[in-house]
Amino acid sequence: MKPIFLLTLVTILSSPSYAQDDLLDTLENETQVEHFQQPAFKAMKIGNLQSTKVAAKGDLYMYVSHRFGTLKDGLSTFFGFDNANTKIQLVYGCFDGIQLGISRESLRKTYATSAKLKLFSQSENMPFNVVSYNAIYINSELRKDRYPLLRFGDRMSYTTQLLISRSMNKNLSLELAPTYIRQNLVLEPEQKHNQYALGIGGRMKLSKRTSLNADYVYHLNRYENSIYNNPLTLGIDIETGGHVFQLLFSNAQSTNEPGFISNAEGDWEHGDVFFGFNIVRVF
Amino acid sequence: MIKNSIILLLFVCVTHIQAQKYITKSGLTDFKGSVEAFEPVEAVNESTTVLLNSENGTIAALLFIHAFRFDIALMQEHFHENYMDSDTFPKATFKGRLLDFDSTSLTEKVQTFKLKGVLNIRGIDKTIETNAKVKRLGDVLVLKGAFTVLPQDFGIDIPKIVRKKIAEQIHIKLHYELVKK
Repeated sequence: MKPIFLLTLVTILSSPSYAQDDLLDTLENETQVEHFQQPAFKAMKIGNLQSTKVAAKGDLYMYVSHRFGTLKDGLSTFFGFDNANTKIQLVYGCFDGIQLGISRESLRKTYATSAKLKLFSQSENMPFNVVSYNAIYINSELRKDRYPLLRFGDRMSYTTQLLISRSMNKNLSLELAPTYIRQNLVLEPEQKHNQYALGIGGRMKLSKRTSLNADYVYHLNRYENSIYNNPLTLGIDIETGGHVFQLLFSNAQSTNEPGFISNAEGDWEHGDVFFGFNIVRVF
Repeated sequence: MIKNSIILLLFVCVTHIQAQKYITKSGLTDFKGSVEAFEPVEAVNESTTVLLNSENGTIAALLFIHAFRFDIALMQEHFHENYMDSDTFPKATFKGRLLDFDSTSLTEKVQTFKLKGVLNIRGIDKTIETNAKVKRLGDVLVLKGAFTVLPQDFGIDIPKIVRKKIAEQIHIKLHYELVKK
């Protein structure tokens, strides 16, 4: 019986139909699957909080951010339309995983430079994206004739963040952002210059090109009678290829980290909320 | 005795098949879906694996979508995330045959063979018929070909907002240099 069995085997082996299936099977066995990891976020910001997205090498992004005045003012300012804060920012991917940015925000006439550095990317071996974000801000609104003792250093503030995100599945991404802020000039005298905060954020995709976004920052050492609140930002992303439109509501009017983390002036409970948007354009 | 000779036959048979395979792991597959006046939509995959049985002309190819490289990184990201679902469908395969293929007649002069087979992208099969140009350069078999596909054949949805910027037909070009396995 055995020789007949072997003979059958040989016949099967040498038949062309087997050979054809065999070719693709051989290839499948010989190659190792390369997995594509979905990016956790479409834009460099979730809403106000920085996301773990870093501009790819050679990509230039322009960010235009608007935050209108508080909605609470109603018709007298046309729901904040008359008191808009505008920020324009350029972001460039200088090297793989390193992006540099410069910006100017009208609130407190703030200039800023930032550097974002990708440390780890989520993959089969690494459960998280880890990014470091550092920024320096210069308040150019303070005037020497009003504050004769003003030194240049008083205009400065700094942010250092570690951004840790994970795509939980195709649609849901979550982020944690331990944050350190240094404000050389605090807006309330009792507030400490060195401040610590923990940001959380996430996005839920509604379709391939739209998502619901939210971020919140918990300030860990805010002066207890501070008039400022922790910022909560809710928004949607609409991606159209070269653009991402981010429409959002936040209780902070500034889009700079010390501005919205340390000095969010609005309050969701009282409807003191700012409507705004970020428009992201890639070149 | 019979058993031994059969095993020998089997061995000969297997080595025989082995000897007739040509392979590459660095085949070039590129596609173009550009529309004039807009940014070029094109990418190249430089790690296509192709296996050819020169005895009967059967051929198989496999590539990882992830390995397609674009000039613009964001376009590459959108290609995977919005169009190809590359995390769900990591590879594309082709399984087919060069009709009337005769490896012994191959020379440095290009010969054209009909190439017929099934292309699988995003888990969807599509029959492809095109011409392949094959020549022999020393130990290397050079195979070139081109064909067009439609995104909708593979369930790829192109939204209205970018429809003008992406060609209706996607041109795929192949350039494989196969060596004896």
